[in-house]
Amino acid sequence: MKLKITYPPVEKRKLQRRHLLRIIRWPVLFAVVMSPVVNYILGGKAWSLIVLMSIYMAWSLVLSPDLVEYNRISQSIKLISFSCSLLAMIDFFLSPGWAIDVVPIVCFGGLVITGVMFFTDIDRQKQNMLPMLFLIVVAIIGSIVGLSIWHEKVRWPFAVMGATAVLLLVACIITLRGEFLRELKRRFHVK
Amino acid sequence: MDYALDSKLARFARRIKPAKKKKRLAPPSPFKQYKEGLPDDKAEQLREFFEDFSAHCLIAKKEKKRLQTDFERAILHYENAGVSLEKALDLLAVKNLGSFYARPPVLWFPLDDAAKIYPLSMEHGIMSIFRLSVYLKQSVVPELLQMALNFTIKRFPSFATTLKKGFFWHYLDTTKRRFTVEQEKGVPCESLKVALSGSQSFRVIYYENRISVEFFHVLTDGYGGMAFLMALTSEYLRLMGVEIEPEGMLWDVNAIPVAEEVENAFAKVPRSGSASGFMDKLAVQMNGKLSENKPSRVIHFKMNASELKAVAKKHHTTITVYLLTLMFLAGRAATDELQGEASIQVPVNMRKFYPSKTVRNFSMYCGIRMPIEETTDVQSIIVKVDEQLQKKASKESMDAMLMATVRLVKFLKYIPLILKQRVAKVVYGFLGDKIFTNTLSNLGVINVPPAMAEHIESMDTVMGPPITNRASCSVITMNDIATFSITKTTFDPTFEEAMYDLLLADGISITVEGSDFYEA
Repeated sequence: MKLKITYPPVEKRKLQRRHLLRIIRWPVLFAVVMSPVVNYILGGKAWSLIVLMSIYMAWSLVLSPDLVEYNRISQSIKLISFSCSLLAMIDFFLSPGWAIDVVPIVCFGGLVITGVMFFTDIDRQKQNMLPMLFLIVVAIIGSIVGLSIWHEKVRWPFAVMGATAVLLLVACIITLRGEFLRELKRRFHVK
Repeated sequence: MDYALDSKLARFARRIKPAKKKKRLAPPSPFKQYKEGLPDDKAEQLREFFEDFSAHCLIAKKEKKRLQTDFERAILHYENAGVSLEKALDLLAVKNLGSFYARPPVLWFPLDDAAKIYPLSMEHGIMSIFRLSVYLKQSVVPELLQMALNFTIKRFPSFATTLKKGFFWHYLDTTKRRFTVEQEKGVPCESLKVALSGSQSFRVIYYENRISVEFFHVLTDGYGGMAFLMALTSEYLRLMGVEIEPEGMLWDVNAIPVAEEVENAFAKVPRSGSASGFMDKLAVQMNGKLSENKPSRVIHFKMNASELKAVAKKHHTTITVYLLTLMFLAGRAATDELQGEASIQVPVNMRKFYPSKTVRNFSMYCGIRMPIEETTDVQSIIVKVDEQLQKKASKESMDAMLMATVRLVKFLKYIPLILKQRVAKVVYGFLGDKIFTNTLSNLGVINVPPAMAEHIESMDTVMGPPITNRASCSVITMNDIATFSITKTTFDPTFEEAMYDLLLADGISITVEGSDFYEA
């Protein structure tokens, strides 16, 4: 069977990159298995959970990025969510007592950053509003919960986070008006 | 201190100097040179043309610039080809852009019932993509192909979209941009990058005399893809100066799209009767190590369609049944298994049961199964394949499968996407394509107006690489050339060689074309 080649040759680099990504999976998998084992053998605090979370974070953000909606807002929010979870875990498993202030501050920073990203390129970024809405909702719920549970402690980080989230939400509604509702309709359709 | 400041200034000056130099040395663009050399009346004509363009193009600045450059390149191409400016501007008339680039995006499309699974199950490097290609009698002119795409896209609003994530389902959001034509450089049916804002879910590529369009299955099926490719090709040929009367066979790219063309046709089918058809036993797979790069190779058997039809007739059957029979036999040769059932997936166009103009997905599939032990020669299985195909691709069977799809979608509709995605990945990863051995998609005979057909050599269609199956096949006929294409995912050549020998044994002459092996 004689075959006439009618397709262009493909750059080896392109094929090798895919191959490299496949190879990287193995050391990552090795670390995922080994860190709890080592932690168990050595005993002590559950540091391996932090390692696992960090690996998942790196995997999700760098090695296996989102296949749909990979944009600067969604990625920033993903990074902020992972960072907050990681901070909360470090607080809970390794050195307790500080995350209650730090997490809302990080979240506040995240709201400000995504707000700036959103409003400086609104024409394009209005199509990427959903992740920001989630962060806003989570921040509002978080601040309500935080203020009601830890009301005896210093509560300004929760208040600032909640106020920023509400402000951002109001700014979105005022700026987008009808489009805000249309965007919600698309994002929450069940058809 | 002063010295430090001086050295800083010197460094700064060094940094800005080359930039200035570069700016001064940059040669004027070929189009600018061409424009400057034009007599006053023609320069005025050109200025008016681009003024008109500006009025019709209100998209983002960067995209507008790209679109304008496309026009400039096309005008230069015409100039080099000896076409007068009047004629060039007439062919490229701005009215062909319609109002697509003049209005902000408004439309959005929920995915049709068949498309919903594709974004849920996709992974890095695994994406349901298919490719349709047309081979012209002359080399493709990229400048004109780009303009043809710029003019055609408005007719297919559901293609001018970006895949987005909703809370419950994915959807397609209209994107107003200049959609790109690229020179073919990669592997056929390579995954598309659909994640970025405004990314396109199809790819228009060219190589020598071939125009190909690769579609992510969320957009369309073979029917819709073919409508797009034919519209694009006819627009390209129009820009090449060929006059084509659509004769009801082609989509008029300047007509206004109607709702029926972008509808989810599944929703229109009467909902009654039983639902079944998804699950089946695992099928025997062809042997051969799966290649790391998928596909490992693409092969086309180009045959005389009349010859093929005559041979099928000799066996008292259709081309689809005849090819299915040969695929079972070739598959038998490509496996070491001695027991079990081989199964070939056959997509069925639902439009033949429920007439619809939709370019969205409206296809189902059936699985033709054959025990390995019984797969011995053509005569012994051809009748069984025929019987099974008639029964399993019947309206009743397809209705049952369609009902199963509709019910599944209904059941899942209030489950958040994040959960659906996890479950779909597990189920799809577990089952995947393991209930089939192979696939045969027959797109049938493509009829185009004679004025268009005389500029086309042939066509082919390439299925995206399967996950577990070692091959998937398709067939399409145009200008009396039937092209049987095989997408391989193993370096083991047994299947295609057996297929070739079987066709040859029946007296069918074959020209074999395709790609080299895609090895890292």
